[in-house]
Amino acid sequence: MKPAVLPENASFSHRLQSAMRVIHWRNWVVVALLVLGAIIMVLPFLWTFSTSLRPISEAYRLPPSFLPDQLDFNSYAELRDGPIPFLGMYWNSFLVATVVTVSVIITSAMAAFAFSRLRFAGSNILFGSMLAGLMVPPALVLIPLFFGLASIGAIDTLWALILPALANPLAVLMMKQFMQSQPREYEESAFVDGASYWTIFWRISLPQMGPPIAALSIIVFTTSWNNFLLPLVFIRSFDAMTLPVGILSLFGSYGPEKLSVILAAVTLSIMPLLVVFLIAQRFIVESIASTGIKK
Amino acid sequence: MATLQQREMRAGYLFILPAYIIYLAFLLLPMLAALGLSFAQMDRISWDIEWVGFENFEWILSDPRFWKTFRNTFYFISMAVIGNVGLGLLIALALDRAIPAPILYLLRLAYFLPVLVSLAFVSFIWKFLYSTDLGVINYFLRQVGLSNVPWLTSSSMAMFSVVIMDVWKNMGFFIIIFLAALQGVPRRLMEAASIDGAKGWTVLRRIKIPYIAPVILFCITYATIGGLQVFDSIKILTDGGPGDATRSVVMYMVSEAFNVGDLGTGAASAMILFLTIGIVVAVQFGLVRLLSFKGRQ
Repeated sequence: MKPAVLPENASFSHRLQSAMRVIHWRNWVVVALLVLGAIIMVLPFLWTFSTSLRPISEAYRLPPSFLPDQLDFNSYAELRDGPIPFLGMYWNSFLVATVVTVSVIITSAMAAFAFSRLRFAGSNILFGSMLAGLMVPPALVLIPLFFGLASIGAIDTLWALILPALANPLAVLMMKQFMQSQPREYEESAFVDGASYWTIFWRISLPQMGPPIAALSIIVFTTSWNNFLLPLVFIRSFDAMTLPVGILSLFGSYGPEKLSVILAAVTLSIMPLLVVFLIAQRFIVESIASTGIKK
Repeated sequence: MATLQQREMRAGYLFILPAYIIYLAFLLLPMLAALGLSFAQMDRISWDIEWVGFENFEWILSDPRFWKTFRNTFYFISMAVIGNVGLGLLIALALDRAIPAPILYLLRLAYFLPVLVSLAFVSFIWKFLYSTDLGVINYFLRQVGLSNVPWLTSSSMAMFSVVIMDVWKNMGFFIIIFLAALQGVPRRLMEAASIDGAKGWTVLRRIKIPYIAPVILFCITYATIGGLQVFDSIKILTDGGPGDATRSVVMYMVSEAFNVGDLGTGAASAMILFLTIGIVVAVQFGLVRLLSFKGRQ
């Protein structure tokens, strides 16, 4: 049996119906189990969102809700007005992740350009020594980093979170692989026309790599946004705190009684990731499937 | 006037300079410093360094608490690898069939959703879900007539609870990898098998699994390396408790270095962790070579 050819403007439910007809009945058992599993996967998120919209005093009321049964924004107001500067931490997270992402993309693209397009003595050794960095677990360098950052007065500032995150051999590796798969013709003809290496890199190589740069940006941004170990050790004051550790201190000062406030903070913290993910699902999934690497 | 070749070389060095300086300063030198520090005692205030040879390692290896955290970590890894890789493979095999595209899209989305979100954020969610008297999970257990499970407060249960959350969180990553690998299995192999009358189970055992064996091995190694560094989830869910029941090697390292203030011991335990990761990677390389050797016969 062949699937019917549908017009371009067929609605979602139309497509679904026509697709369903071509499936063998035995597969439906498997699909039903998969859907059940998928619902379980999503329930914790739904519970978090629904509970954050309950009044603070009713957060623990059972049965739990998975779809918002009330619309009470007091928990969110508490985050804005409470003693812990949640919005400031949100800004810190955003600032750190943005600075890290832009810097990592530019420096790793430059390095990838050199490694994949230019011939210079020792390039293999330099590249190999960077690959060695992939094996280093973040926990290993934590202690020396602490003292290095302390000696330049960076502990308890945003620099303590930005500087270590700039070293990203994974980004260099991925950029190099992307760049090697690009055609060289444009670059070569620009070179013949007398363009400088910087012009070739900035005007030709970089714009060619839109999709991979988008995918890598998302990976670098979320890695920074999600970082927990570094800020836990390097940051003490609210002024320089980012979200994951910020919620830990929110938890410490509110305690489990104000469940809905904590869950409101979690909801706001994961919201940007979910939005970006829904927009760029295809990029992310494909780049992970092709390189087999996540951070 | 420099020759073209010299120009190209100079440009090469200039282009890698920013990335390499950062790499040296924040990864390579700290790594060497960690190696040095593991053979030294350093004063936290004056930063005076005294070389002590293998004393830090001897101290750690005779510390029962370190062995406890090491055992905990491997207990976590063994269960998390089975859960993540096993369940991930199972679901990938289930997804690798004729499923209507919109349903497949939503399924992939649902299974992959937790992967992107930080372990720290989801750990807060699960901390409440696991709560003994007021938690959502126990509520449903009571509804079906079971009694409360002390998810995070019993020392025999706590690590298992950490693993359940870990599998929920990371499984989607392995599903994506396995799905990509399964779609790479050549169609003609499967067609040839079905012409020969092979049933689904035989195709799975004789074609699909052997074909993606290197990917399975990679995933096991990857999950093991990740598991060796387990920290965020345990820190938030149980903070190592009850007692030391869930304390991991990285937690031991952080607390030795930053709470006890014994930097040498902290660095030495980090080195042991690094060596263990090296061994895991070496074993994987060995197995891959063995597999590809067998495949050629």
